[in-house]
Amino acid sequence: MNTISCLNSRPSRSPLNWGMTLGVAAALAMLSAPIASAQEALSPDEMAALCHGGSSICVSATIPVARTTQAVQSWMSPDVGAAWATGYKGQGVTITMVDDFSSTSRFSGNFGIGVQTQRHGEWTREEASMIAPSATIRSKDFSTGSAVSLARGLNVLNLSYGMYTTAGYSVNQIWWAPEEASIINYATRGTAVVSKAAGNDAVAVGAAINGQQDYLDLALIGKSTAIFVGALSTNGTTANKAQLAWYSDYAGTNTQVQSHFLVVGVEGDKTGLYGTSFAAPIISGYAAIIGSKFTKATPVQITNDLLNTARTDTLANYDPSIYGKGEASLSRALAPVAIH
Amino acid sequence: MRERSNIGAGLCAAALLLCAPSFASTALAQEWTTSLVDIHQGSPLSDKARGLGNGGYELQSGSWVSFSRWYHASWVDMHVDFLTQITPDTGLLWGFGTGEQAEKYSIGPSLKLGFLTQIHPNPNSTLSLSVTSTIGGGLTEKPCEADYGDLGTYSVNCRLAAGMTAPEETLKYLVSAKPETMHLWLNYRLTF
Repeated sequence: MNTISCLNSRPSRSPLNWGMTLGVAAALAMLSAPIASAQEALSPDEMAALCHGGSSICVSATIPVARTTQAVQSWMSPDVGAAWATGYKGQGVTITMVDDFSSTSRFSGNFGIGVQTQRHGEWTREEASMIAPSATIRSKDFSTGSAVSLARGLNVLNLSYGMYTTAGYSVNQIWWAPEEASIINYATRGTAVVSKAAGNDAVAVGAAINGQQDYLDLALIGKSTAIFVGALSTNGTTANKAQLAWYSDYAGTNTQVQSHFLVVGVEGDKTGLYGTSFAAPIISGYAAIIGSKFTKATPVQITNDLLNTARTDTLANYDPSIYGKGEASLSRALAPVAIH
Repeated sequence: MRERSNIGAGLCAAALLLCAPSFASTALAQEWTTSLVDIHQGSPLSDKARGLGNGGYELQSGSWVSFSRWYHASWVDMHVDFLTQITPDTGLLWGFGTGEQAEKYSIGPSLKLGFLTQIHPNPNSTLSLSVTSTIGGGLTEKPCEADYGDLGTYSVNCRLAAGMTAPEETLKYLVSAKPETMHLWLNYRLTF
Protein backbone atom coordinates (compact mmCIF):
# COMPACT_ATOMS: atom_id res chain seq x y z
CA MET A 1 0.00 0.00 0.00
CA ASN A 2 1.30 3.38 -0.87
CA THR A 3 0.62 6.69 0.73
CA ILE A 4 0.57 9.95 -1.08
CA SER A 5 0.25 13.05 0.92
CA CYS A 6 0.78 16.74 0.60
CA LEU A 7 3.73 18.95 0.87
CA ASN A 8 4.57 19.63 4.50
CA SER A 9 2.29 16.88 5.70
CA ARG A 10 2.46 15.66 9.25
CA PRO A 11 5.53 13.68 10.29
CA SER A 12 3.60 10.44 10.42
CA ARG A 13 3.10 10.53 6.74
CA SER A 14 5.02 8.39 4.35
CA PRO A 15 8.18 9.81 2.83
CA LEU A 16 6.47 9.35 -0.53
CA ASN A 17 5.20 12.87 -0.11
CA TRP A 18 8.61 13.93 -1.38
CA GLY A 19 7.47 12.98 -4.85
CA MET A 20 4.59 15.36 -4.61
CA THR A 21 6.78 17.98 -3.06
CA LEU A 22 9.15 17.73 -5.95
CA GLY A 23 6.36 17.75 -8.49
CA VAL A 24 4.65 20.84 -7.16
CA ALA A 25 7.72 22.73 -6.12
CA ALA A 26 9.56 22.04 -9.32
CA ALA A 27 6.62 23.09 -11.45
CA LEU A 28 6.17 26.29 -9.53
CA ALA A 29 9.81 27.13 -9.63
CA MET A 30 9.99 26.48 -13.32
CA LEU A 31 6.84 28.31 -14.24
CA SER A 32 7.06 31.35 -12.06
CA ALA A 33 8.23 34.42 -13.86
CA PRO A 34 11.72 35.60 -13.00
CA ILE A 35 10.65 38.90 -11.52
CA ALA A 36 13.62 39.62 -9.31
CA SER A 37 13.40 43.34 -9.05
CA ALA A 38 12.60 45.14 -5.86
CA GLN A 39 9.30 43.89 -4.55
CA GLU A 40 6.67 45.71 -2.64
CA ALA A 41 6.73 44.70 0.97
CA LEU A 42 3.63 42.92 2.08
CA SER A 43 1.88 43.43 5.30
CA PRO A 44 1.36 40.24 7.25
CA ASP A 45 -1.36 38.12 5.76
CA GLU A 46 -4.04 37.72 8.35
CA MET A 47 -5.50 34.81 6.50
CA ALA A 48 -2.30 32.83 6.62
CA ALA A 49 -2.03 33.51 10.30
CA LEU A 50 -5.47 32.09 10.84
CA CYS A 51 -4.54 29.02 8.88
CA HIS A 52 -1.54 28.40 11.08
CA GLY A 53 -3.70 28.52 14.11
CA GLY A 54 -4.75 24.92 13.86
CA SER A 55 -7.89 25.35 11.83
CA SER A 56 -7.64 23.89 8.38
CA ILE A 57 -10.31 26.17 7.00
CA CYS A 58 -9.87 29.91 6.95
CA VAL A 59 -12.77 32.01 5.88
CA SER A 60 -11.78 34.91 3.74
CA ALA A 61 -13.39 37.73 5.64
CA THR A 62 -10.03 39.35 6.06
CA ILE A 63 -8.53 38.83 2.64
CA PRO A 64 -6.66 42.02 1.90
CA VAL A 65 -6.20 43.99 -1.28
CA ALA A 66 -7.70 41.90 -4.00
CA ARG A 67 -11.23 41.52 -2.72
CA THR A 68 -11.77 45.21 -3.04
CA THR A 69 -10.43 45.22 -6.58
CA GLN A 70 -13.28 44.57 -8.95
CA ALA A 71 -11.83 46.03 -12.11
CA VAL A 72 -11.53 43.87 -15.19
CA GLN A 73 -7.80 43.29 -15.61
CA SER A 74 -5.96 42.96 -18.88
CA TRP A 75 -5.06 39.35 -18.16
CA MET A 76 -8.72 38.39 -17.89
CA SER A 77 -10.69 37.21 -20.85
CA PRO A 78 -12.66 40.04 -22.50
CA ASP A 79 -15.53 37.71 -21.88
CA VAL A 80 -15.35 38.46 -18.16
CA GLY A 81 -15.88 42.16 -18.66
CA ALA A 82 -18.85 41.50 -20.89
CA ALA A 83 -20.40 39.19 -18.35
CA TRP A 84 -19.66 41.52 -15.45
CA ALA A 85 -21.78 44.27 -16.94
CA THR A 86 -24.59 43.64 -14.52
CA GLY A 87 -25.43 41.79 -11.41
CA TYR A 88 -23.74 39.44 -9.06
CA LYS A 89 -20.18 38.18 -9.24
CA GLY A 90 -20.20 34.98 -7.27
CA GLN A 91 -22.47 35.96 -4.40
CA GLY A 92 -23.72 33.08 -2.30
CA VAL A 93 -21.10 30.62 -3.53
CA THR A 94 -18.10 29.32 -1.61
CA ILE A 95 -14.80 28.63 -3.34
CA THR A 96 -12.42 26.58 -1.26
CA MET A 97 -8.82 26.96 -2.33
CA VAL A 98 -6.93 23.80 -1.36
CA ASP A 99 -3.39 25.00 -1.62
CA ASP A 100 -0.22 26.11 0.13
CA PHE A 101 -0.92 28.80 2.67
CA SER A 102 1.81 28.01 5.16
CA SER A 103 5.12 27.24 3.50
CA THR A 104 8.01 29.64 3.29
CA SER A 105 7.99 29.48 -0.50
CA ARG A 106 6.92 32.73 -2.08
CA PHE A 107 7.21 34.14 -5.55
CA SER A 108 6.39 37.36 -7.32
CA GLY A 109 3.78 38.39 -9.79
CA ASN A 110 1.33 41.13 -10.60
CA PHE A 111 -2.37 40.65 -11.21
CA GLY A 112 -2.65 44.28 -12.22
CA ILE A 113 -2.78 45.63 -8.70
CA GLY A 114 0.95 45.97 -8.14
CA VAL A 115 3.81 43.53 -7.77
CA GLN A 116 3.37 41.17 -4.84
CA THR A 117 5.37 38.29 -3.41
CA GLN A 118 3.11 35.59 -2.05
CA ARG A 119 2.69 31.93 -1.41
CA HIS A 120 1.19 29.78 -4.12
CA GLY A 121 -2.15 29.56 -2.40
CA GLU A 122 -2.27 33.26 -1.80
CA TRP A 123 -1.82 33.82 -5.51
CA THR A 124 -4.51 31.37 -6.59
CA ARG A 125 -6.86 32.72 -3.94
CA GLU A 126 -6.32 36.26 -5.10
CA GLU A 127 -6.96 35.27 -8.68
CA ALA A 128 -10.23 33.49 -7.90
CA SER A 129 -11.40 36.42 -5.80
CA MET A 130 -10.68 38.80 -8.64
CA ILE A 131 -12.77 36.74 -11.06
CA ALA A 132 -15.63 36.29 -8.61
CA PRO A 133 -15.33 39.21 -6.18
CA SER A 134 -18.53 38.45 -4.32
CA ALA A 135 -17.81 34.80 -3.69
CA THR A 136 -16.82 33.61 -0.26
CA ILE A 137 -13.28 32.32 -0.54
CA ARG A 138 -12.00 29.74 1.93
CA SER A 139 -8.35 28.85 2.25
CA LYS A 140 -7.61 25.20 3.03
CA ASP A 141 -3.95 24.57 3.65
CA PHE A 142 -3.14 21.31 1.91
CA SER A 143 -0.40 20.49 4.37
CA THR A 144 -2.97 19.58 7.00
CA GLY A 145 -4.26 16.62 5.04
CA SER A 146 -7.58 16.88 6.82
CA ALA A 147 -10.86 16.43 5.01
CA VAL A 148 -12.24 19.39 3.11
CA SER A 149 -15.59 20.43 4.48
CA LEU A 150 -18.32 21.97 2.39
CA ALA A 151 -20.14 25.19 3.16
CA ARG A 152 -23.85 25.79 2.81
CA GLY A 153 -24.94 26.48 -0.72
CA LEU A 154 -22.91 25.84 -3.82
CA ASN A 155 -19.31 24.78 -3.32
CA VAL A 156 -16.42 25.03 -5.72
CA LEU A 157 -13.10 23.39 -4.87
CA ASN A 158 -9.96 24.72 -6.50
CA LEU A 159 -7.07 22.31 -6.83
CA SER A 160 -4.02 24.03 -8.25
CA TYR A 161 -1.78 21.16 -7.27
CA GLY A 162 -1.13 17.56 -8.08
CA MET A 163 -0.42 14.40 -6.15
CA TYR A 164 2.62 12.83 -7.70
CA THR A 165 4.31 9.58 -7.01
CA THR A 166 5.90 6.72 -8.89
CA ALA A 167 3.98 5.80 -11.99
CA GLY A 168 2.35 2.47 -12.44
CA TYR A 169 -0.08 2.13 -9.56
CA SER A 170 -3.77 1.91 -9.98
CA VAL A 171 -5.85 4.59 -8.33
CA ASN A 172 -7.36 1.89 -6.12
CA GLN A 173 -3.97 1.16 -4.65
CA ILE A 174 -3.57 4.66 -3.36
CA TRP A 175 -4.21 5.35 0.30
CA TRP A 176 -5.58 8.80 0.11
CA ALA A 177 -5.31 11.33 2.85
CA PRO A 178 -8.70 12.44 4.19
CA GLU A 179 -8.21 15.66 2.26
CA GLU A 180 -8.02 14.13 -1.19
CA ALA A 181 -10.42 11.34 -0.27
CA SER A 182 -13.03 13.95 0.56
CA ILE A 183 -12.38 15.86 -2.66
CA ILE A 184 -12.64 12.74 -4.80
CA ASN A 185 -15.81 11.81 -2.96
CA TYR A 186 -17.38 15.21 -3.68
CA ALA A 187 -16.47 14.95 -7.36
CA THR A 188 -17.87 11.43 -7.51
CA ARG A 189 -21.14 12.34 -5.80
CA GLY A 190 -21.41 15.65 -7.63
CA THR A 191 -21.69 17.69 -4.45
CA ALA A 192 -19.05 20.28 -5.38
CA VAL A 193 -17.58 21.59 -8.59
CA VAL A 194 -13.93 20.53 -8.62
CA SER A 195 -11.61 22.65 -10.74
CA LYS A 196 -8.31 20.82 -11.12
CA ALA A 197 -5.21 22.28 -12.73
CA ALA A 198 -4.32 19.89 -15.54
CA GLY A 199 -0.60 19.94 -14.90
CA ASN A 200 2.48 21.58 -16.31
CA ASP A 201 4.34 18.72 -17.90
CA ALA A 202 3.04 19.06 -21.46
CA VAL A 203 1.64 15.53 -21.38
CA ALA A 204 -1.88 14.14 -21.54
CA VAL A 205 -3.81 14.39 -18.30
CA GLY A 206 -2.80 11.49 -16.07
CA ALA A 207 0.16 10.44 -18.20
CA ALA A 208 3.48 9.58 -16.61
CA ILE A 209 6.44 11.91 -16.89
CA ASN A 210 9.89 11.06 -15.62
CA GLY A 211 8.46 8.06 -13.85
CA GLN A 212 5.89 10.10 -11.94
CA GLN A 213 2.14 10.46 -12.30
CA ASP A 214 -0.43 12.85 -10.91
CA TYR A 215 -2.75 10.42 -9.17
CA LEU A 216 -5.20 13.12 -8.26
CA ASP A 217 -5.77 13.64 -11.97
CA LEU A 218 -6.26 9.91 -12.41
CA ALA A 219 -8.67 9.69 -9.50
CA LEU A 220 -10.83 12.47 -10.88
CA ILE A 221 -11.20 11.08 -14.39
CA GLY A 222 -14.81 10.17 -15.06
CA LYS A 223 -16.13 12.05 -12.02
CA SER A 224 -19.25 14.06 -12.72
CA THR A 225 -18.14 17.43 -11.38
CA ALA A 226 -14.41 17.30 -12.05
CA ILE A 227 -13.06 19.77 -14.59
CA PHE A 228 -9.46 19.56 -15.74
CA VAL A 229 -8.18 22.98 -16.69
CA GLY A 230 -5.39 23.53 -19.17
CA ALA A 231 -3.71 26.81 -20.00
CA LEU A 232 -3.71 28.78 -23.22
CA SER A 233 -0.89 31.23 -23.79
CA THR A 234 -3.46 33.97 -24.44
CA ASN A 235 -7.18 34.51 -24.20
CA GLY A 236 -8.59 33.45 -27.54
CA THR A 237 -10.79 35.44 -29.86
CA THR A 238 -12.09 34.56 -33.27
CA ALA A 239 -9.69 37.07 -34.77
CA ASN A 240 -6.70 36.01 -32.67
CA LYS A 241 -7.02 32.36 -31.92
CA ALA A 242 -5.21 30.99 -28.91
CA GLN A 243 -2.83 28.08 -28.60
CA LEU A 244 -2.16 25.75 -25.73
CA ALA A 245 0.59 27.09 -23.52
CA TRP A 246 3.87 25.26 -24.08
CA TYR A 247 3.87 23.77 -20.59
CA SER A 248 0.21 22.83 -20.25
CA ASP A 249 -0.99 19.27 -20.03
CA TYR A 250 -3.57 18.50 -22.68
CA ALA A 251 -6.67 16.35 -22.81
CA GLY A 252 -5.23 13.32 -24.59
CA THR A 253 -7.16 10.51 -26.21
CA ASN A 254 -9.26 9.47 -23.22
CA THR A 255 -12.76 10.66 -24.07
CA GLN A 256 -13.63 10.84 -20.38
CA VAL A 257 -10.92 13.43 -19.97
CA GLN A 258 -11.79 15.25 -23.19
CA SER A 259 -15.38 15.68 -22.08
CA HIS A 260 -14.26 17.30 -18.80
CA PHE A 261 -11.32 19.32 -20.03
CA LEU A 262 -11.41 23.10 -20.51
CA VAL A 263 -8.77 25.64 -21.39
CA VAL A 264 -8.46 29.30 -20.39
CA GLY A 265 -5.93 32.01 -21.13
CA VAL A 266 -3.08 32.34 -18.63
CA GLU A 267 -1.40 35.51 -19.81
CA GLY A 268 1.83 35.22 -17.91
CA ASP A 269 3.42 37.90 -20.01
CA LYS A 270 1.11 40.34 -18.21
CA THR A 271 1.15 38.86 -14.73
CA GLY A 272 4.47 37.09 -14.48
CA LEU A 273 2.50 34.03 -13.39
CA TYR A 274 2.52 30.92 -15.53
CA GLY A 275 1.09 27.48 -15.09
CA THR A 276 -2.18 25.64 -15.01
CA SER A 277 -2.24 26.59 -11.32
CA PHE A 278 -3.49 29.93 -12.59
CA ALA A 279 -5.95 28.38 -15.04
CA ALA A 280 -7.97 26.46 -12.45
CA PRO A 281 -8.92 29.54 -10.36
CA ILE A 282 -10.41 31.14 -13.44
CA ILE A 283 -12.75 28.20 -13.87
CA SER A 284 -13.46 28.24 -10.13
CA GLY A 285 -14.44 31.90 -10.44
CA TYR A 286 -16.60 31.22 -13.46
CA ALA A 287 -18.37 28.39 -11.65
CA ALA A 288 -19.05 30.71 -8.71
CA ILE A 289 -20.51 33.37 -10.96
CA ILE A 290 -22.74 30.86 -12.72
CA GLY A 291 -23.79 29.52 -9.33
CA SER A 292 -24.70 33.00 -8.15
CA LYS A 293 -26.93 33.45 -11.16
CA PHE A 294 -28.59 30.05 -11.07
CA THR A 295 -29.08 29.73 -7.36
CA LYS A 296 -30.90 26.41 -7.56
CA ALA A 297 -28.43 24.77 -9.92
CA THR A 298 -26.56 21.70 -8.78
CA PRO A 299 -22.79 21.34 -9.11
CA VAL A 300 -23.38 18.84 -11.90
CA GLN A 301 -25.52 21.33 -13.82
CA ILE A 302 -22.96 24.09 -13.40
CA THR A 303 -20.14 21.80 -14.47
CA ASN A 304 -22.06 20.76 -17.56
CA ASP A 305 -22.98 24.36 -18.33
CA LEU A 306 -19.31 25.33 -18.36
CA LEU A 307 -18.34 22.29 -20.43
CA ASN A 308 -21.17 22.58 -22.93
CA THR A 309 -20.68 26.26 -23.66
CA ALA A 310 -16.94 26.18 -24.23
CA ARG A 311 -15.85 27.74 -27.50
CA THR A 312 -13.79 26.05 -30.16
CA ASP A 313 -13.76 28.92 -32.64
CA THR A 314 -11.28 30.90 -30.54
CA LEU A 315 -8.65 28.15 -30.65
CA ALA A 316 -5.98 27.51 -33.24
CA ASN A 317 -6.53 24.14 -34.93
CA TYR A 318 -9.08 22.93 -32.42
CA ASP A 319 -8.61 19.29 -31.57
CA PRO A 320 -10.46 17.66 -28.66
CA SER A 321 -7.37 15.62 -27.79
CA ILE A 322 -5.59 18.90 -27.08
CA TYR A 323 -8.27 21.33 -25.96
CA GLY A 324 -10.96 18.97 -24.73
CA LYS A 325 -14.26 20.82 -24.84
CA GLY A 326 -12.58 24.11 -25.71
CA GLU A 327 -12.05 27.53 -24.21
CA ALA A 328 -14.38 28.32 -21.35
CA SER A 329 -16.75 31.18 -22.10
CA LEU A 330 -18.35 32.85 -19.13
CA SER A 331 -20.69 34.96 -21.20
CA ARG A 332 -22.02 31.95 -23.07
CA ALA A 333 -22.34 29.92 -19.92
CA LEU A 334 -24.56 32.67 -18.53
CA ALA A 335 -26.57 33.13 -21.70
CA PRO A 336 -29.78 31.36 -22.61
CA VAL A 337 -29.93 28.59 -25.19
CA ALA A 338 -32.97 30.33 -26.63
CA ILE A 339 -35.15 33.28 -25.74
CA HIS A 340 -38.47 34.50 -26.99
CA MET B 1 -64.35 90.11 -29.47
CA ARG B 2 -61.02 91.43 -28.44
CA GLU B 3 -58.04 89.52 -29.67
CA ARG B 4 -56.76 89.08 -26.15
CA SER B 5 -59.95 87.48 -25.09
CA ASN B 6 -59.68 84.71 -27.60
CA ILE B 7 -58.43 82.03 -25.31
CA GLY B 8 -57.76 79.57 -28.09
CA ALA B 9 -55.52 81.94 -29.95
CA GLY B 10 -53.88 82.95 -26.70
CA LEU B 11 -53.07 79.41 -25.79
CA CYS B 12 -51.71 78.66 -29.23
CA ALA B 13 -49.48 81.66 -29.36
CA ALA B 14 -48.17 81.38 -25.85
CA ALA B 15 -47.46 77.70 -25.84
CA LEU B 16 -46.15 77.64 -29.37
CA LEU B 17 -48.38 74.72 -30.06
CA LEU B 18 -49.48 73.61 -33.42
CA CYS B 19 -52.77 75.28 -34.05
CA ALA B 20 -54.85 73.96 -36.83
CA PRO B 21 -57.48 76.31 -38.07
CA SER B 22 -60.22 76.31 -35.54
CA PHE B 23 -63.24 74.37 -36.41
CA ALA B 24 -66.38 75.67 -35.00
CA SER B 25 -68.58 73.40 -33.08
CA THR B 26 -71.99 74.50 -32.14
CA ALA B 27 -72.78 71.62 -29.98
CA LEU B 28 -74.26 73.68 -27.26
CA ALA B 29 -76.38 76.73 -27.12
CA GLN B 30 -73.46 78.84 -25.94
CA GLU B 31 -71.72 78.18 -29.23
CA TRP B 32 -68.71 76.54 -27.70
CA THR B 33 -65.83 76.48 -30.10
CA THR B 34 -63.43 73.57 -30.29
CA SER B 35 -59.96 74.03 -31.68
CA LEU B 36 -57.31 71.51 -32.51
CA VAL B 37 -54.33 72.80 -30.56
CA ASP B 38 -51.74 70.09 -30.92
CA ILE B 39 -51.04 66.93 -32.82
CA HIS B 40 -47.78 65.09 -32.62
CA GLN B 41 -46.24 61.64 -32.56
CA GLY B 42 -43.84 60.44 -29.92
CA SER B 43 -43.33 61.23 -26.27
CA PRO B 44 -40.66 60.89 -23.62
CA LEU B 45 -41.96 57.38 -22.97
CA SER B 46 -41.73 56.53 -26.66
CA ASP B 47 -38.14 57.69 -26.62
CA LYS B 48 -37.46 55.67 -23.51
CA ALA B 49 -38.96 52.55 -25.04
CA ARG B 50 -36.96 53.02 -28.21
CA GLY B 51 -33.81 53.30 -26.11
CA LEU B 52 -34.45 49.83 -24.71
CA GLY B 53 -33.81 48.48 -28.18
CA ASN B 54 -30.14 49.37 -28.13
CA GLY B 55 -27.80 46.45 -27.64
CA GLY B 56 -27.98 42.70 -27.66
CA TYR B 57 -26.06 39.59 -26.67
CA GLU B 58 -24.99 36.18 -27.82
CA LEU B 59 -26.90 33.05 -27.02
CA GLN B 60 -25.03 29.93 -25.94
CA SER B 61 -24.68 28.94 -29.58
CA GLY B 62 -23.06 32.26 -30.40
CA SER B 63 -25.97 33.55 -32.45
CA TRP B 64 -26.62 37.23 -31.87
CA VAL B 65 -29.86 38.47 -30.39
CA SER B 66 -30.51 42.13 -31.08
CA PHE B 67 -32.91 43.95 -28.79
CA SER B 68 -34.14 46.10 -31.64
CA ARG B 69 -36.57 43.49 -32.91
CA TRP B 70 -38.26 43.40 -29.52
CA TYR B 71 -38.48 47.14 -29.05
CA HIS B 72 -39.44 48.37 -32.50
CA ALA B 73 -42.98 49.72 -32.80
CA SER B 74 -44.54 50.05 -36.22
CA TRP B 75 -46.78 52.86 -34.96
CA VAL B 76 -45.56 55.65 -32.72
CA ASP B 77 -47.83 56.99 -30.02
CA MET B 78 -49.86 59.89 -31.47
CA HIS B 79 -51.26 62.65 -29.29
CA VAL B 80 -54.10 64.92 -30.35
CA ASP B 81 -55.16 67.82 -28.10
CA PHE B 82 -58.17 70.06 -28.36
CA LEU B 83 -59.40 73.17 -26.64
CA THR B 84 -63.09 73.79 -26.21
CA GLN B 85 -63.76 77.39 -25.37
CA ILE B 86 -66.57 77.78 -22.86
CA THR B 87 -66.37 81.48 -22.10
CA PRO B 88 -64.07 84.13 -23.52
CA ASP B 89 -61.64 83.40 -20.70
CA THR B 90 -62.07 79.75 -19.90
CA GLY B 91 -61.86 76.55 -21.82
CA LEU B 92 -61.61 72.83 -21.52
CA LEU B 93 -58.44 71.13 -22.65
CA TRP B 94 -58.85 67.56 -23.74
CA GLY B 95 -57.18 65.05 -25.96
CA PHE B 96 -56.01 61.52 -26.37
CA GLY B 97 -52.98 59.43 -27.20
CA THR B 98 -53.19 56.33 -29.33
CA GLY B 99 -50.48 54.41 -27.50
CA GLU B 100 -47.99 52.14 -29.21
CA GLN B 101 -47.01 48.54 -29.08
CA ALA B 102 -43.95 46.44 -29.81
CA GLU B 103 -43.19 42.81 -29.10
CA LYS B 104 -41.76 43.49 -25.64
CA TYR B 105 -43.42 46.69 -24.50
CA SER B 106 -46.58 48.62 -24.79
CA ILE B 107 -47.62 52.20 -24.18
CA GLY B 108 -51.28 52.30 -23.40
CA PRO B 109 -53.80 54.70 -24.89
CA SER B 110 -54.20 57.86 -22.89
CA LEU B 111 -56.81 60.49 -22.23
CA LYS B 112 -55.98 64.07 -21.33
CA LEU B 113 -58.38 66.37 -19.50
CA GLY B 114 -57.94 69.85 -18.09
CA PHE B 115 -58.95 73.45 -18.18
CA LEU B 116 -57.52 76.77 -19.19
CA THR B 117 -58.40 80.13 -17.76
CA GLN B 118 -57.01 83.60 -18.21
CA ILE B 119 -57.29 87.03 -16.66
CA HIS B 120 -56.21 90.42 -17.88
CA PRO B 121 -54.36 92.39 -15.21
CA ASN B 122 -54.35 95.33 -17.60
CA PRO B 123 -55.36 95.86 -21.18
CA ASN B 124 -51.95 94.89 -22.51
CA SER B 125 -51.34 91.74 -20.56
CA THR B 126 -52.78 88.29 -20.08
CA LEU B 127 -52.13 85.82 -17.33
CA SER B 128 -53.09 82.28 -18.27
CA LEU B 129 -53.27 79.16 -16.16
CA SER B 130 -53.93 75.68 -17.38
CA VAL B 131 -54.04 72.39 -15.55
CA THR B 132 -54.22 69.08 -17.37
CA SER B 133 -54.26 65.54 -16.15
CA THR B 134 -53.45 62.43 -18.17
CA ILE B 135 -55.05 59.08 -17.56
CA GLY B 136 -53.37 55.97 -18.95
CA GLY B 137 -50.49 56.06 -21.37
CA GLY B 138 -48.13 54.02 -19.17
CA LEU B 139 -45.12 52.19 -20.54
CA THR B 140 -44.99 48.52 -19.61
CA GLU B 141 -42.10 46.27 -20.55
CA LYS B 142 -42.93 42.62 -21.05
CA PRO B 143 -40.77 39.67 -19.93
CA CYS B 144 -39.25 36.96 -22.10
CA GLU B 145 -39.11 33.22 -21.67
CA ALA B 146 -35.46 32.19 -21.50
CA ASP B 147 -34.42 28.59 -21.92
CA TYR B 148 -31.14 27.86 -20.14
CA GLY B 149 -31.04 24.20 -21.09
CA ASP B 150 -30.41 21.97 -18.09
CA LEU B 151 -30.54 25.00 -15.82
CA GLY B 152 -34.20 25.52 -16.54
CA THR B 153 -36.59 27.91 -18.21
CA TYR B 154 -37.31 31.22 -16.59
CA SER B 155 -39.38 34.30 -17.13
CA VAL B 156 -36.76 37.03 -17.42
CA ASN B 157 -36.11 40.58 -18.37
CA CYS B 158 -35.24 40.10 -22.03
CA ARG B 159 -32.38 42.59 -21.86
CA LEU B 160 -30.70 41.03 -18.83
CA ALA B 161 -31.10 37.35 -19.64
CA ALA B 162 -27.44 36.84 -20.49
CA GLY B 163 -26.00 38.81 -17.58
CA MET B 164 -24.97 37.68 -14.15
CA THR B 165 -28.19 38.62 -12.43
CA ALA B 166 -30.33 35.70 -11.33
CA PRO B 167 -33.15 35.18 -13.83
CA GLU B 168 -35.89 35.90 -11.31
CA GLU B 169 -34.05 39.02 -10.13
CA THR B 170 -33.99 40.47 -13.64
CA LEU B 171 -37.74 40.94 -13.50
CA LYS B 172 -37.22 43.73 -10.98
CA TYR B 173 -35.64 45.75 -13.74
CA LEU B 174 -38.53 45.60 -16.17
CA VAL B 175 -39.39 49.14 -17.10
CA SER B 176 -42.72 50.40 -15.87
CA ALA B 177 -43.22 54.13 -16.27
CA LYS B 178 -46.12 56.51 -16.25
CA PRO B 179 -46.41 59.64 -18.31
CA GLU B 180 -46.56 63.04 -16.69
CA THR B 181 -49.92 62.73 -15.00
CA MET B 182 -50.45 66.36 -14.00
CA HIS B 183 -49.31 69.37 -15.94
CA LEU B 184 -49.56 72.91 -14.59
CA TRP B 185 -48.92 75.70 -17.02
CA LEU B 186 -48.73 79.38 -16.09
CA ASN B 187 -48.11 82.04 -18.67
CA TYR B 188 -47.94 85.81 -18.59
CA ARG B 189 -48.10 87.71 -21.84
CA LEU B 190 -47.42 91.38 -22.22
CA THR B 191 -48.17 93.12 -25.49
CA PHE B 192 -46.36 96.36 -26.29
